[in-house]
Amino acid sequence: MASSSISSCLRLFTTRSFLSPKPRKNLSFFYKPTSFAKNPLSKSLVAVSSSTSTSPIQPVEDLPPKLQEIVQLFQSVQEPKAKYEQLLFYGKSLKPLDTRFKTRENKVEGCVSQVWVRAYLDDQKNVVYEADSDSVLTKGLAALLVQGLSNRPVEEIVKVTPDFVVLLGLQQSLTPSRNNGFLNMLKLMQKKAVELVFESEKAGGSVEGSNLGSKNSKNLTLERKGDGVGGLESKVESSSQVGSGKNLTLEMEGDSGAGDNGSNSGGLGSRGMRIRDKLEKELRPVVLEVEDISYQHAGHAGVRGSDGETHFNVKIVSKEFEGKSLVKRHRLIYDLLQEELQNGLHALSIVARTPSEV
Amino acid sequence: MEAVVPKLASFNLLNPKSKSKSAIRRFSSALCVSSSPSVTSTDSVSLGHITRPDFPILHQEVYGSKKLVYLDNAATSQKPIAVLKALQNYYEAYNSNVHRGIHFLSAKATDEYELARKKVAAFINASDSGEIVFTKNATEAINLVAYSWGLSNLKSGDEVILTVAEHHSAIVPWQLVAQKTGANLKFLNLNDDESPDLDKLKEMLSRKTKLVVIHHISNMLASILPIEEIVHWSHDVGAKVLVDACQSVPHMVVDVQGLDADFLVASSHKMCGPTGIGFLFGKSDLLSAMPPFLGGGEMISDVFLDHSTFADPPSRFEAGTPAIGEAIGLGAAIDYLSTIGMQKIHAYEMELAKYLYENLLSIPNIRIYGPKPSEHVQRAALCSFNVENIHPTDIATLLDQQYGVATRSGHHCAQPLHRYLGVNASARASLHFYNTKEDVDEFIHALNETVSFFNVFK
Repeated sequence: MASSSISSCLRLFTTRSFLSPKPRKNLSFFYKPTSFAKNPLSKSLVAVSSSTSTSPIQPVEDLPPKLQEIVQLFQSVQEPKAKYEQLLFYGKSLKPLDTRFKTRENKVEGCVSQVWVRAYLDDQKNVVYEADSDSVLTKGLAALLVQGLSNRPVEEIVKVTPDFVVLLGLQQSLTPSRNNGFLNMLKLMQKKAVELVFESEKAGGSVEGSNLGSKNSKNLTLERKGDGVGGLESKVESSSQVGSGKNLTLEMEGDSGAGDNGSNSGGLGSRGMRIRDKLEKELRPVVLEVEDISYQHAGHAGVRGSDGETHFNVKIVSKEFEGKSLVKRHRLIYDLLQEELQNGLHALSIVARTPSEV
Repeated sequence: MEAVVPKLASFNLLNPKSKSKSAIRRFSSALCVSSSPSVTSTDSVSLGHITRPDFPILHQEVYGSKKLVYLDNAATSQKPIAVLKALQNYYEAYNSNVHRGIHFLSAKATDEYELARKKVAAFINASDSGEIVFTKNATEAINLVAYSWGLSNLKSGDEVILTVAEHHSAIVPWQLVAQKTGANLKFLNLNDDESPDLDKLKEMLSRKTKLVVIHHISNMLASILPIEEIVHWSHDVGAKVLVDACQSVPHMVVDVQGLDADFLVASSHKMCGPTGIGFLFGKSDLLSAMPPFLGGGEMISDVFLDHSTFADPPSRFEAGTPAIGEAIGLGAAIDYLSTIGMQKIHAYEMELAKYLYENLLSIPNIRIYGPKPSEHVQRAALCSFNVENIHPTDIATLLDQQYGVATRSGHHCAQPLHRYLGVNASARASLHFYNTKEDVDEFIHALNETVSFFNVFK
């Protein structure tokens, strides 16, 4: 019985290749203020946290196709032992994760066993996952997620809730602590997907962002904040450390929580002054505050080897931003500061408003 | 009934001075429940077989069709009907707040609560029931000693000796108090036999040592320590000893006067009693000198706006309304255990321990932690183990799902010990007197099949 279920599993493998790269047509949604405002990210994360409550479970059709396949496969296998064999078989499909990826940032919290998840973007900018665990059952669960979510568009990935594990018929076979590990695995994979995509947008090219290097990046916070700024209402913090190539820390703030950055034109080094000058010249701001916060990132691997002036807070109020979405505003600023970005500027934390918004 | 008579000796509660007829009634009802066949065990009818009917929870199937085999007793024990009845009876017949009331119900509740205290004292041979402080559990009891005795007796430079095998509850409170007082914690390592190195302990003890915190039986290693000697050596240097008896009081005779322990803690839920209650034994003179731990009602004498005066022990350390029903339930558990007799329970469990260990050894590539049993070295009836190349959680999951065998996997509240042994986690099977050899057989069978299952997938 075990062999038949394995061979049926193999059949499914060969007929439908899950490595179907899809063109990335979908990132444009980031640029439309209205769709971003309704972005599924915050909704699905809210759904994830309340999935154990009485809300109905996510319909199978909403799952990525590969995951639907997996669900159907498990449902077709009735006997619990055979389900385990199925799970273990999936686990075997995971190639072992290289030790250098078994980092804290890749470790899944709340697992009784040790689980690591790595995510990177391939040439077509699809998120690809790798995972490993010292427990074979957990490895099987990780494999389900890796196969189900790899090479899928990020909007699809973040919509997935852990409800489907119920459909697998494994849930009652999994202890609560293991289930929590599963939930956390999924959340970590979703978080990594979002971060990779954001940072690839910034770099404007394909980026290998495997580890979340910076100690300063905490959990991904996605909050819906309604305020007068029509449009972007989410605050996303992501950072990544890359072996070679650009390091970019991106912080987008769309709400009024900017706090007191203080006017800090004094105490700026040469780069700081150049930033000020450029922005003043091109954007004729009503308010401009540029603050060097590189000291906060001292010791961050991306900073080592440079001579400071790597991280800045920028608060700018200008008419030039009227009619532009937040992302467009940030884009504008980045374009103006291209040269600096090429030469050691690592991160800009930007607050960009129109005079009427202040 | 003749076979029962010798057991009366261990049930020292039953003396002519005992005023409550209800105690006798309870005793005989416990007796009826537990001894329908002859109480003396024969080859075919072990103590496990005799007592199983008293534990309703054991007679069920899990996951539809699998008979439950409960082997997680070191985590918590099951409760006999007598204890369940005592709890129900408390709430049905005489629930009332204790110590202060005037009316009939409260007098009765107070009597029963204090009777339970006497039972605990008698069970561990404390000289006076005033040496028993009821707490929420053993963890709270240790914290009581740490914050009350520790904060007022430890100063910078003083040493507290613990072992690397201690439960977190015996380590963390002392870390917190050491931080506040500037005392140093010293940890005793294991010897080659994976048991605390007692020779090393003798070397570590010095005039700087103020306290030794040590387990009687290890919940992971199954080692049984010679507390009497350890107390002797400690007293020689002027150190006090706090004994963590959570795994010993439920399974063997523990005599605090014989051991001369200064403090001893145990939890009710590990000895067939309800959760929510435990106790601290402390020598009278020690408790009398200790400041309060938690403040509130019950533990005071007079309360003014700017200061209060405090009650004598044990009340001094029992703030607020206690877990009255639970204490009475613990008393009922002690009655039940005493009816059987702790020597008998201990003897049976030693048999089971040997059986478990020997059978476990037959599993290929298994590594059992703790000392090897021999003529001189006894192990408790539990085994923590790992099977090479198989994660203990995988084992425990399949044992549960496929075979209904309840075991535990993880660090068993002993992370330092696991780190010391160089493992992330281990699986553990732990027995109690209501387990049988058949339980062990089923466990071994299930474990064999589980190991084969995972080996196929390597």
